[in-house]
Amino acid sequence: AATAPGKKITARLKRTLPVRGPQAPTLSELMRWYCLNTNTHGCRRIVVSRGRLRRLLWILLTLSAVGLILWQCAELLMNYYSASVSVTVQFQKLPFPAVTICNINPYKYSAMKEYLSELDKETKKALETFYGFSEGKSKVRRSVDEWNSTGSDFFQQIPLLKVEDFSRTATDLHSGQKRKIEGSVFHKDSSIVNSGDSNDIIGFQLCDANNSSECALYTFSSGVNAIQEWYKLHYMNIMAQIPLETKEKLSYSADDLLLTCFFDGLSCDKRHFTRFHHPLHGNCYTFNSGENRTILSTSTGGSEYGLQVVLYIDEADYNPFLVTSTGAKIIVHDQNEYPFIEDIGTEIETAAATSIGMHFTRSRKLSKPYSDCTETGADIPVENLYNKSYSLQICLHSCFQKAMVDSCGCAQYAQPLPAGAEYCNYKKNPNWMYCYYRLHEKFVKEQLGCQQICKDACSFKEWALTTSIAQWPSTVSEDWMLRVLSWDKGQKLNKKLNKTDLANLMVFYKDLNERFISENPANTLVILLSNFGGQLGLWMSCSVVCVIEIVEVFFIDSLSIVMRRQWQRANKWWNEGKAPQASDVERQGHHNPVCVDEDLPTFTTALRLPLPQDSPLPRTPPPNYSTLRLETAFTEQLPDTLELGQH
Amino acid sequence: MNLKKYLVRALHRLQKGPGYTYKELLVWYCDNTNTHGPKRIIKEGPKKKLIWFFLTLLFASLVFWQWGILINTYLSYNVTSSLSIGFKTMKFPAVTVCNANPFKYSEVKHLLKELDRLIEAALERILQPTPGNSSDNVSPPLDLELWNQIPLVLIDEHDKDNPVILDIFETNQTAGGNETAMGSGTKKKYKLAVKLCSQQGSDNCTYRNFTSAAQAVTEWYILQSTSILSKVPLHERIRMGYQAEDMILACLYGAEPCNYKNFTQIYHPDHGNCYIFNWGMDEEALNSSNPGAEFGLKLILDISQQDYIPYLSSAAGARLMLHQQKSFPFLKDQGIYAMAGTETSIGVLVDELERMGYPYSDCTMNGSDVPVRNLYSQYNTSYSIQACLRSCFQNHMVEICGCGHYLFPLPEGVNYCNNEDNPGWAYCYSSLRSSIKQRQICIDSCKETCNDTQYKMTISMADWPSEASEDWIFHILSYERDMSTNVTLDRNGIIKLNIYFQEYNYRTISESAATTIVWLLSSLGGQFGFWMGGSVLCLIEFGEIIIDSLWITIIHAIGWCKGLKQRRARFPDAPPTVSELVEAHTNLGFQPEAAVPRAGALPPEPGTPPPNYDSLRVQPLGALGADSDTE
Repeated sequence: AATAPGKKITARLKRTLPVRGPQAPTLSELMRWYCLNTNTHGCRRIVVSRGRLRRLLWILLTLSAVGLILWQCAELLMNYYSASVSVTVQFQKLPFPAVTICNINPYKYSAMKEYLSELDKETKKALETFYGFSEGKSKVRRSVDEWNSTGSDFFQQIPLLKVEDFSRTATDLHSGQKRKIEGSVFHKDSSIVNSGDSNDIIGFQLCDANNSSECALYTFSSGVNAIQEWYKLHYMNIMAQIPLETKEKLSYSADDLLLTCFFDGLSCDKRHFTRFHHPLHGNCYTFNSGENRTILSTSTGGSEYGLQVVLYIDEADYNPFLVTSTGAKIIVHDQNEYPFIEDIGTEIETAAATSIGMHFTRSRKLSKPYSDCTETGADIPVENLYNKSYSLQICLHSCFQKAMVDSCGCAQYAQPLPAGAEYCNYKKNPNWMYCYYRLHEKFVKEQLGCQQICKDACSFKEWALTTSIAQWPSTVSEDWMLRVLSWDKGQKLNKKLNKTDLANLMVFYKDLNERFISENPANTLVILLSNFGGQLGLWMSCSVVCVIEIVEVFFIDSLSIVMRRQWQRANKWWNEGKAPQASDVERQGHHNPVCVDEDLPTFTTALRLPLPQDSPLPRTPPPNYSTLRLETAFTEQLPDTLELGQH
Repeated sequence: MNLKKYLVRALHRLQKGPGYTYKELLVWYCDNTNTHGPKRIIKEGPKKKLIWFFLTLLFASLVFWQWGILINTYLSYNVTSSLSIGFKTMKFPAVTVCNANPFKYSEVKHLLKELDRLIEAALERILQPTPGNSSDNVSPPLDLELWNQIPLVLIDEHDKDNPVILDIFETNQTAGGNETAMGSGTKKKYKLAVKLCSQQGSDNCTYRNFTSAAQAVTEWYILQSTSILSKVPLHERIRMGYQAEDMILACLYGAEPCNYKNFTQIYHPDHGNCYIFNWGMDEEALNSSNPGAEFGLKLILDISQQDYIPYLSSAAGARLMLHQQKSFPFLKDQGIYAMAGTETSIGVLVDELERMGYPYSDCTMNGSDVPVRNLYSQYNTSYSIQACLRSCFQNHMVEICGCGHYLFPLPEGVNYCNNEDNPGWAYCYSSLRSSIKQRQICIDSCKETCNDTQYKMTISMADWPSEASEDWIFHILSYERDMSTNVTLDRNGIIKLNIYFQEYNYRTISESAATTIVWLLSSLGGQFGFWMGGSVLCLIEFGEIIIDSLWITIIHAIGWCKGLKQRRARFPDAPPTVSELVEAHTNLGFQPEAAVPRAGALPPEPGTPPPNYDSLRVQPLGALGADSDTE
C-alpha cells in the first residue's frame, strides 16, 4: 500500500502495453503449451497421455517420426538433381545433313612433282638400299630419274635406322654407320616386341637440335609403317611451306571430282557444293553446307530422294607413298560442325555403288548441375581454332595445337593456325619434329591436361549410317554407262573412263523419323516441395506452419525465456544487495486485483461455453495462459510469483 | 409478424451454422479448422496475428500457384522412358531378298526391244557426232512414235540466256553442225533433258534438266519402260521375274535346312519377284534363342548378272531387307545391297521403341485413325508410315492424273498409267512428284506407328568363294540347280548371306506415363500439406463455410429487402420493421454484454487480445441461446 506512485505507473504501463514475449513463463510451461496447441500430431499425445510407460512410448514414437522425416527429406534432397530420359519420335520433313566428300589422295601427284620429286627420289633410293626394291620389277608408274647422291638432305635431317634391340646400337641404313642410341626408345607400332625375334626393327631418330644428346628413337615393327611415317613427316614439312592458294590449285577441282549429282529427284551441280580445304585430304567438297543460309531438306525418305553422286577418282594420279588405299572418304555432319574427316570418315570403294542409309537422332543432355557438359563451349578455357560450333574433337585439337605453339614455337600442319603462329617447317624450326613427337606422346598419355579440360557438348546430332555396297556398273550396263559418263566428262577428257576410277555414292534417309533423346530434370521444385509435404504430413501431419511454430517456440521463445531468467537472476542478485524486503509486500497488493479486474468477464463468459467446459483437462487455454502471461509481465518486480505460477 | 419470425427461425434452423455474422463465422472457422494457419491468427497477439494473417495468405496463394503448376504438368502428359538391353529369345526378323534387277532380260526383251534400239541410236547420235553413219541404214527404221511420246532433247547452253533445244532425231543437220563445232575444241556445253508434255503435241511442256547424261538416260528409260510394263498383266510379270528355285540356291536356318519353298513370293514393282523368309503370314514366326552366325540364316543366292536389263539398273547385287513379320518390305527406303562375289555377314540388333498412344504422343497403333486409304492392306500387311506415304501419293496421282503409278498398288477400278491411254501421265507424274505441297499434305496426314522396330545391322564383307574353293562350289551349286555338270555360275552372280543376332540382340525403349492421377493427387496433397497442413477435408470445411456465409448473405438480403419495403411504405419515420426487430432481438444478448466490457476496458487497453476475441466467440452462442430460450 505504501508504494511509490512511480512504480504504480510503470506497472500500469506494462499492463496496457501489448504483451510481448513467450506464451509461458518457463521452459517446461512453454513446452507444455506448445504440445497442447501445436498442429503436429504426436506431441499432444505426450502431454495428454496418462501413465509413464505410455508417455515414454509416445515420446519415442514422436522422436522416431521426426527422425524418419529428416531421413526421408535428406534422401529427397540428395536425389533432387537426377534426370529422367525421354525419347520422342517425330515424323517430319528433315533437314538434310552436310555431306563432305574428299578424294583419299590429297593432291594430284602430277602437279605435286616439283615439290616432292626430291623426297620421292630419296624414298625410292631408301627402298632399294634397305629392301632391294626397285620399281622396274613391279609396274612402272613413271620414269625413275637418275638420283644424285648429294641430295640426302632428308636422311641427314631424320635418319632411318635399323636397330638391334639388345645392344642398343643402330645402323644408319643410308650411310652404313653404326651409332649408339642415346635417349629413350619409343615403339610406335606396338609396345610388345618379341625379345627372341631376330627381325631387325626399323625406325628413325629425332634429336633436339640444340642439345644433340636429347634424342628419341621411334621404332616400327614393319618397314611399311616406318617408311610411311617418315615420308609423312617430310611431306608435312614441305606442305607447310606452300601457301593455301597454291595448295588449292594443286588439289582436285569440283569438276574433277564430281561427275554427276542428283538430289531429291532433281539434278544438281557443283554450285551445290562448297569447297573446303583440308590439310591432309586436300580439297574436299561439302554438299549442302548451308553456306548461303539455305539448308536443303527432304520430305521423302528412300534412296531415290537422297543425294546420288558419281565421283571420279583418278587412281593413276595418286601419291604412292602418302596414301596406299584408293577411293573417297565421306562424312555426314551438321552444317555447323567441322568435318573431322581423318578421324571419323567413311571410306568408299571404287567400281561400286555405296548406299548409305541414314537415321537421324538428336540428343540433349542437361548441363550443370546435372552433368558435366557444356552448351556452347564458352566456359572452356581453350580457344576454338575452328570456325565451327563447339565439339569435343575441336576442343582436343585446339588444345593440342595451343600446347604445340607454346612449347615448340610453331603450329602443327594438320590443324588450323592460331593467331600469330605459323606452320612448322624445319627451315625455321629445326627441332619441331622432336618436339612434336614428344608432345604427342604426352597428349596420348593424357599428360597435357587436354582430356581433363575438354568436356562433352550437351546437345549433338547424330546420323547413324547403314552402309552397303553393290557392284556398279553391272557387267551388262558397264559399256553404255562408261561411254555416257565419258561424254559427261568429255568436255575435257577424250578418253574412255575406267570403272575403277569411278565410285557411285548414295546418301539418303531411311526414314523421316527424327529420334530425339533428351534428359529432363526428374524433379522440379514443386515436386520436391510436394514430396516434402507428403513426408511431413504422413509422419506427423506437419506443415510449414509447424516448422515456423517450432522455430518460434524452440528458438525465439525458449531463448527469450532463458535470457529473461538470466536477467531476473542478475536483477535478483542486484536487488538482494539493496532492499530484500520491499518486493514481498508489493506482490500481495498488486497481483490479485489485476487478475480479477481484467479476467473476470472473460472467465465468466468462458464458463458458459459448452466446449471448453466439457473437457475435464486443462484444455481451455486462454484464461490459463493469459493469467500466466499477466503474471510474467510482472515477474520483473515480483520474482516469487514465478514459482507460484508454476505450481 | 409471427409468420416472419417463424420464417427467420426456419432460416436459422436451416443454416445451423456457427454464427449470424460473417465475422463470427470466420472466427469460428479459424478456430476449428484443421488447416494450420488460421488457428494461429486468432490465437496470437495482435502483432503476431497480423504476421500470421499474411503468412496464411501467402501460403494459401503458394498452394494455389503450385497446384496450378502441378495440374499443368499433369495435362502435358509427359512420359518417362525406360531402356532395357540384353539377350532374349526373339522372333527372327522377316528377311526379304530381291534381285536388284526386276526382270530377266531374256524374258522381257521382246517388250523392250524397240526402246533399247531407240536409246542406242540416240546415244550413238549424242556420243558420236559424225552424222550419217552406217548403222542407221542397216537397222530397220526406228519407232519414232514411242520416242515422241517422251523425247530426250539436247539443250545447247553456249548462250546462257537463250538455250537452244535440239531434238536428237529430227534436227539432224543443226545438231551435226553443232557437234562438229564441239569437235573443233570449243568447250561443249550440252545437257540432256527429258521433254514432258501434258498432251502430245501441245505447247504445255516442261524440260527436266539433267547435268549428267547418264542420269537423264536412266530416268528416260524408267519412264518409258514403266509405261510399257504397266500394260503387262501381273502373272506375266511374275513369270518374267526371277524364280525362287533359280535365285535361292541354298538355305540354312540354324541347324535346320530350308529351301526356296520356305520363302513367300511377293511381287515388288521395283525389284520384280521378291522372296520373304519367315514372314509369319501363314505359319508362326521362327524364334531364335542363340546369338552368333552359327544360329542365324545362311543363304546362297544367284543373281545372274548376265541377264540384267542394261539400261534399267546399273547397280548389280541382291537387295535385302530385314523387317517385322507381316509388314511390307519397302526396299527403296530401308533395303541394303549385297555385292556379288562376296559373303555378307549381317549382325542384327533389334531396336524397339514402344510408345504410348494419344494423348501422350501423336502416334497411331494400327493406322485406323489415319485419314489415308491404305492401299497396301491388299497384301494383308500392317500399317507403316511408308505405306501411308505411298498410298497418299497414289491417291493423289489417281485423283489428278486419272491413273495409278506403276510402282504403287492400285486402288480399285483404276488402271496403271501408260503412254497410249494417258498421254500426259509422265508430265503429270513429274509435276506431282516435285510438288512440295503434295508432299507436305502427305506428311501431315500420315502418322508414325507407336511401336517402332528397327533392325540395326552391322554389315561386314569378305570375298566368297575363295579362289581355292571356287571350282567345287560352283560345280556343286550348278549341279544342284539343273542336274547337269555344266557350270552355269560365276563370281559375278553368286552371293552368300549370313544373318544372325548379335550377342546383345535387343534394346527396347518403352514409355510409361510420367504423371498419373495418383501422382497428381499425392503431389496436390503434398503441396497442401506442406504449406498449410491441409487435406481434402479442409477443402470440404471451407466449402461448408462458404455455404454458411451464403446463408448469412441470404438472411441479410431478405432482411434488407424487407427493411427497404417497409421504409418505403412508411415514409419518413417508420417504426422498426420485423427484420429490424429480429436484428434487435438477436442482438439483445449481444449488445449489452459487448458494451459492458468495452466500456469497462475502454481506451487504456485495446490490445489485449484474449478477452477481446473470447467474448466474440462466446457472445453469439449466448445470444442464440437467449433467442431460442425466449421463444
